Amino acid sequence: MLQFLARRLLRAVIALWGIVTIVFIVMRLSGDPVPLMLPPDAPTSEMNRVRAELGLDQPIPIQYAVFIGNVLRGDLGRSIHMRQPAIDIAIERLPATVELALVAFLLAVVVALPAGLISAAKRDSIWDNIAMFFALIGQSAPTFYIGIMLILVMGLQLGWFPVSGRGQGSWLKPGDWSTMLWHVFLPAVTLGAFAMASIARLTRSAVLEVMRQDYIRTARAKGLNDIAVLVRHNLKNAAIPVVTIMGLQFGTLLGGAVVTETVFAWPGIGLLAIKSIGSRDYPIVQSAVLLVAMAFVFVNFLVDLAYGWLDPRIRYA
Amino acid sequence: MSRRASRGYLLVAIVVAFSMVLTACSQPAAPAKPAEPAKPTEAPKPAAPAAASPAAASPASASPAASPGASPAASPGASPAAKPAAAAGAAAPGPTGPAPAAAVQSTGKATTKAPATKTELVIASPSDISKLDPHMSTSFQDVIISFNLYDTLTSRDPDLKLIPRLATEWKATNDKTWEFKLRPNVTFHNGDPLTSADVKFSIERTYDPNAKTLVATVFTTIEKIDAPDPMTVVFTTKQPDPLLPSRLAFYGGQIIPKAYFEKVGADEFNAKPVGSGVVKFNQWVKDDRLVLDANKEYWGGAPDFEKITLRPIPENQPRMAALLSGQADMALKLIPDQVDQLKSNEKARAEGAFYAGLYVLGVNSKVPPLDNPKVKQALSLAIDRDGIVKALWKGQGAVPNGFVAPGDNFYDPNRRPFEFNADKAKALLSEAGYKGEEIVIESSTVIGNDRQMSEAIVEMWKKVGVNAKIEIIEGSVRAQKNREKSFKGLWWSDPTSTLQDPDGMMYRLLSPGGPMDYWREAEWDRLGEQARFSLDQAQREAAYKRMQEIMDVYYPWLPVIVPIESHGVASYVNWRSNPNQTMELRKDVFSFNR
Repeated sequence: MLQFLARRLLRAVIALWGIVTIVFIVMRLSGDPVPLMLPPDAPTSEMNRVRAELGLDQPIPIQYAVFIGNVLRGDLGRSIHMRQPAIDIAIERLPATVELALVAFLLAVVVALPAGLISAAKRDSIWDNIAMFFALIGQSAPTFYIGIMLILVMGLQLGWFPVSGRGQGSWLKPGDWSTMLWHVFLPAVTLGAFAMASIARLTRSAVLEVMRQDYIRTARAKGLNDIAVLVRHNLKNAAIPVVTIMGLQFGTLLGGAVVTETVFAWPGIGLLAIKSIGSRDYPIVQSAVLLVAMAFVFVNFLVDLAYGWLDPRIRYA
Repeated sequence: MSRRASRGYLLVAIVVAFSMVLTACSQPAAPAKPAEPAKPTEAPKPAAPAAASPAAASPASASPAASPGASPAASPGASPAAKPAAAAGAAAPGPTGPAPAAAVQSTGKATTKAPATKTELVIASPSDISKLDPHMSTSFQDVIISFNLYDTLTSRDPDLKLIPRLATEWKATNDKTWEFKLRPNVTFHNGDPLTSADVKFSIERTYDPNAKTLVATVFTTIEKIDAPDPMTVVFTTKQPDPLLPSRLAFYGGQIIPKAYFEKVGADEFNAKPVGSGVVKFNQWVKDDRLVLDANKEYWGGAPDFEKITLRPIPENQPRMAALLSGQADMALKLIPDQVDQLKSNEKARAEGAFYAGLYVLGVNSKVPPLDNPKVKQALSLAIDRDGIVKALWKGQGAVPNGFVAPGDNFYDPNRRPFEFNADKAKALLSEAGYKGEEIVIESSTVIGNDRQMSEAIVEMWKKVGVNAKIEIIEGSVRAQKNREKSFKGLWWSDPTSTLQDPDGMMYRLLSPGGPMDYWREAEWDRLGEQARFSLDQAQREAAYKRMQEIMDVYYPWLPVIVPIESHGVASYVNWRSNPNQTMELRKDVFSFNR
């Protein structure tokens, strides 16, 4: 088990290093932030002064070495535009994104698991068709399209939900929950649509797959009813692919919040990343990507642990 | 086809039908239309760096109350052109000629009653503010706040007339000195009285090299500032500068409290700003909301709201949805489609005004074949500007007739709008000996509709045999090229008229060493310098007339459109758009209709 943990940890570190390096290189290839900060008639001497102040006058390999050294000490640099530690700015935005991703994920799971189960149990029924119809929309429609349609229909035409923005309040105060949920609902549906669809479809096919197994036939032969067969003998065996996709989807939700956050003006890390890319604020982009990547790696790790619990044949050796 | 497969197709058909129904029942269609990015400012547009001395009648013009002549804009002798009177709708600047009668939608008047409980003004803006320190930004989203949070000595009303604000009167005591009398009993939000010391401190700060402000070039004409008594400020200029009162009305001119600023420092001031304006800072949650409280003790009267919430909503459709669903009272920066959409809407209307400037294609006249004037004339003749206004802007704009912004001093309404004549263009190209050299538009997506306009223009040019091509460059690349003056051929620019005078636009930008110095012609340069320092209005007028004639030959710019900029406002709001983009919300220009 310890060996397993160590190996996973090593892999995680390599993955994070790769991500950070790619972001570092791509951002520097994409342009210079200094002309965006200064008036167009600023003299070259002023440009050079600012560049030197930010360490951007050094060759890229040296900038990279300095950067990696700083990252190892937990220092991701100061925001070029806001002049504050970049990681602080990114962390400040994390709660909004986590809130959105968690609600989207819960919504996806709560809707998708039963939908997938019913689809499988009542295969080819009207329920199956309806569920898979919505799954098809969820998987194929682009996020911004779903978002704008929800805003126009649920927000504007019907007036049931706010068209954008985050609720003002705190999840720590139960009194605020209704307003928080009311605000987060449309963005969460938008963000969770793809995950919801994937989980529903995969649940359906995984359960169908298991249904063909001998032990299910045996269970039925014993005279167990459909529900008991489904719950006692089918579900846990169908769970491995479902848990895998849930883990992957949760990671994707964190990273995929970029479009949803822009459409709904949701003040999370995705919106911050988009703005910072536009202004070439390297340290913030690096911090935001690193945070999301860490969350992704962590969730994958939890999924790996869950495998052993779900299927005792899997050993962490 | 199997039963399953056909059912699959049926599903797809249902999906398509379903989404079409959705699209149809929600009027703001076209979800696939990429959001037009909020047009960031062309970075700061500093005023003419040297003493411009145009319009104003003799510098002896006294208090504006007694003699509005202190304003070059309002001085009849100085301003041969009709003022834009943009808000008056029909009286829009008339650069149209044979072009479509541009439809500025603007009434300024509410058509329904505001809800009785309405006390919060919610503004949906395309981008969040970046700075609250007024001297550290000139971008649209910051300026609209800072001109309400702070006061300036002078200001411009929606007709662009110069009006008193912190200064009650001003006069030129001689060629090079201006004396301003301050309004008594004005206090900052923290209770400190506003005195001449604050004015001196604020304006000096703009050009203090250590302060590193973004408005450092606005007041370069000033030699020194004196505060002989708490209610008097005396500006001494290096050369005669009759435009000083105009300069003080725009960015750079916001007055900040000296004592508070010196106590807390620049960073803390930006975080907790204190001004004397009609709103007070309350809270800023980045990318979420900016909350400002009404300044009930405002010297000009409390505003018609208890607080303002500014909500950044980057995408166009959701911003409009916020307005139409009543969650916002104003939605800033509409795209032309949305202006159309509001024509028949009962909940909201568009308030438009002509852009105080031009959208032009800058030309690098140093590179062949663009160093040949005939090629540039042909390029101009080949652009169907009227078609662009109609098709790409839905009529929300006008075809320009020259290089001076409509409504500015010396704007000549008698010039003909730029001509479209493909045959003439072809003939000129062959005369010029054009051999199919590549001509590139480096188009960005930071200026409204620029990419679509580039595509249309390249097609028009190809029709007359020009080997034209678009390269899309990203905003930051454009900023860099702008700085290095390294555009390959043509590029989009949106010059703003900062002083309502050609010196504040065409000469500021195209003069030797200016930000768009890619072309030189000795006579043009000489006339520009002359007009800048001349007090003789007739001479100035003649100079700008001749300068435009020279430009008709050399085309250092290809002016394409004077667009209308529109904002959406709820039907119960009395407000009209100010062409100079300051978004005033004081009680004389903004109210809920009760």
